[in-house]
Amino acid sequence: MKKLISNFLVVAAILTISACTKIDNYDGPNASFQGNIISSAGGNLQTSSGSTQIKLQQIGWTTPQTIPSKFDGTFEDTKLFKSAYKVVPTGGAFWPVTDTIVVNIAQGTKHDFTVTPYIIIKNFTTSLSGTTLTLKYTITAPIAAGLPTIKDTQPYVNTTKLVGAGASIRDFSDVNAVTINKNFTDMSDADKSITLTVPNLLPGRTFFVRVGVRLSDSFNSSNFSEIVQIDVPK
Amino acid sequence: MKSIHKLIIVISITVGASVTSCQKLNIPPTNIFTPDVIYGSEAGVKSFLATIYQNLPIEDFKYRPDQGFKTGSNDWENFYNSAGVTGEEVGPWGGVDIAGGFGYWPYGDIRNVNILISELPKHVATLTQPTVNALLGEAHFLRAYYYFGLAKRYGGVPLIKEPQDPAAPLSTLQVHRNKEQETWDFIGSELDLGYQMMPETSDAGRANKYAAIALKSRIMLYAACIAKYGSVNFVDGPARSAGLVGIPADQATKYFQAAYDAAKALEGHYSLYNANSDKVQNYVDLFLKSGSPENIFIKQYSIANQTAHSWDATMSPRYMTANALSRSYPTLDLVQLWGNLQVTNDDGTPKRFDNRADLMQGLEPRLLATVYFPGTTLRGLTFDMQRGIYPSFSGTAAAEVAKQPNSRSYILAGDTKTLYQGKQVIGFTGPWTGGDELTRTGFYVRKYVDYNKPQAAVDLNRSEQPWIDLRYGEILLNRAEAAIELGNPTDALSSINQLRTRAGATLYSSIDLTKVRNERRMELAFENQYYWDLKRWRTADVVLDRAHFKGLMPYYVFNENKFIFLAEPELFNREYTFQKQFYYEGIPGGEIGKNPNLLPNNPNY
Repeated sequence: MKKLISNFLVVAAILTISACTKIDNYDGPNASFQGNIISSAGGNLQTSSGSTQIKLQQIGWTTPQTIPSKFDGTFEDTKLFKSAYKVVPTGGAFWPVTDTIVVNIAQGTKHDFTVTPYIIIKNFTTSLSGTTLTLKYTITAPIAAGLPTIKDTQPYVNTTKLVGAGASIRDFSDVNAVTINKNFTDMSDADKSITLTVPNLLPGRTFFVRVGVRLSDSFNSSNFSEIVQIDVPK
Repeated sequence: MKSIHKLIIVISITVGASVTSCQKLNIPPTNIFTPDVIYGSEAGVKSFLATIYQNLPIEDFKYRPDQGFKTGSNDWENFYNSAGVTGEEVGPWGGVDIAGGFGYWPYGDIRNVNILISELPKHVATLTQPTVNALLGEAHFLRAYYYFGLAKRYGGVPLIKEPQDPAAPLSTLQVHRNKEQETWDFIGSELDLGYQMMPETSDAGRANKYAAIALKSRIMLYAACIAKYGSVNFVDGPARSAGLVGIPADQATKYFQAAYDAAKALEGHYSLYNANSDKVQNYVDLFLKSGSPENIFIKQYSIANQTAHSWDATMSPRYMTANALSRSYPTLDLVQLWGNLQVTNDDGTPKRFDNRADLMQGLEPRLLATVYFPGTTLRGLTFDMQRGIYPSFSGTAAAEVAKQPNSRSYILAGDTKTLYQGKQVIGFTGPWTGGDELTRTGFYVRKYVDYNKPQAAVDLNRSEQPWIDLRYGEILLNRAEAAIELGNPTDALSSINQLRTRAGATLYSSIDLTKVRNERRMELAFENQYYWDLKRWRTADVVLDRAHFKGLMPYYVFNENKFIFLAEPELFNREYTFQKQFYYEGIPGGEIGKNPNLLPNNPNY
């Protein structure tokens, strides 16, 4: 009886081991795609978390995937399947890119996108007096006609270099926002020259600061300045 | 040897049983109902209808906006409601967590209705023509309700009007989406059929002709607002260019008129609940008493059938119930729709109260019946909300609230047992920050809470009060909104003042769109309407733009033996942001996988 059972077990073990011998012969996700999102005004587009992204639509597949842009306007994904993709930058504060292009993504594929930002922040200066930080800048628009309404402008303050919408200290950032709610074409020169103040910074701390202008486009997205470091003396 | 005997016995039994079994395979299946059983009698059709009703997308107590419609016996977490993301309440959500939906795709249920509609006319002989007509009308109402659940989430969807044959070629099964306007028009015409074919009265829980026209007044407002406001505030994309989402702006008036006409058709057939001359008690009872002339369409629950809900056990603190906990609390922002509470003096210092309950003096009865204020009682226990104790208090309320927490002179506590000089620091009903099972705002929900239930009976899955899905109060609001949009303020004013009379509010002498919308928020608070109202008005991305909500914190001032109230951020101070793409949910990925013809997906998905 015992022998019978062990025989059964042996047979079962052999069947189990010999089953499923087919090997997955498809390539893993070993292709990569990287590049820059370049502003038509020069340099990379300044972005923030959860905004600008590259949308990839694999040909013959239905659901798109996205690569988020890094804060400096670069992007990279090294775990893609080799294939042809329709690609388009989206989600940021730039004029919508309507013509998707097809890129054959393989190992080390590089591609740069050029976009026209809604708003460009110029002459960005900072001055610290005591614990109050004053931020001055002017805004221009490469294309003024048809620009989405400008909602507000605000500082972004954080303790790390990753600073922007969704990555800032609310008490220094969102609460110091200034509402605009105007069309760019209705703004006077004085309106376009903006001063923000951030009071009550903590002495002896280092902050990373930038400013943003938010528009009422499809994403309520913001154009950003570059990031500056502010050391508050003790 | 013994084992061989056993083996022989087992084998002979097995062989014997096999030989005698399976005499006839050619019998009708006993585990499924065949069409002649279902359609042979009205009772048979009713049993089929029960399934269709049970799955209707009614956003009731048990509906969880991120998971779906619940029909199980233990779906008790009733505080996961949509009010918790819109600022009516703050709840367990960390933000606007419900905007992605749950991939609602009820074509299985729609198929059931389609089968019913195609089969019923074949059974006139057994069911009689009037019965068949009434049932067909009901089926059209039900089909409209399912498509409404789809249209308000996705815009245009495939309109399947006949049961599909599973053996048909794939190309005919993979149906394209209809335009958004066609989808709303279809729902409207289905409800017209329901209105024409159904009788005037029905069993509780089933629809009659007035339920159809009442629902029509709601859905036509949706279509009208999408046309009017969706053509101004939208996200562009291929689906929009193709009309799969969005309705041309010039169609708005037509839909507002349809909404108005539908609401007006109910006049004289239903009325506001007004059985009790005590205005607070009357408004409380409106949601609890059966046979109310205001109820047009309700959903019922039963402990015996294991469908009961848990509203009572999950809206009040454990202190007042037998089990479970609450996690969702009305905000001060909601309460102040009724006007600012008089909690500060002219010089900005907090008003001193001998009694917390004194705060309620002069407030509108409807507000008091909607929200439990500090000082009210439930099941013999007092809502003793107290956030902490000030040994003494000087200065203005605004200056105190602006201070950093560590520089405020209050005494707080992590539990209800802690005492300060013999005085309990926080109330049994909160507020505290130790968790979220006591209020974070200083208020509790009162609407729909059954105050008659003894505390020991307030347990999970033990609440049976029906959900009022359509009530005449909403119809008056629909009518007023349509009227004001059509430029008929006189009619709007009269509808709103009917509601305000019942509510015990001061009547308006003039009206505008803001007043109508605010009346809607007040009258329909916690009824799972405001989330969709924000969406159809296309104001969600403005109202919920990094929004934070407030509570009203009661404190005891020790040296004065008085209470003060401070308006402060709700204790978790969460942030709520609604992205513009959320005005439509994305078509579920799994469905696109099965039917690529559903592409293009909605903008930004």
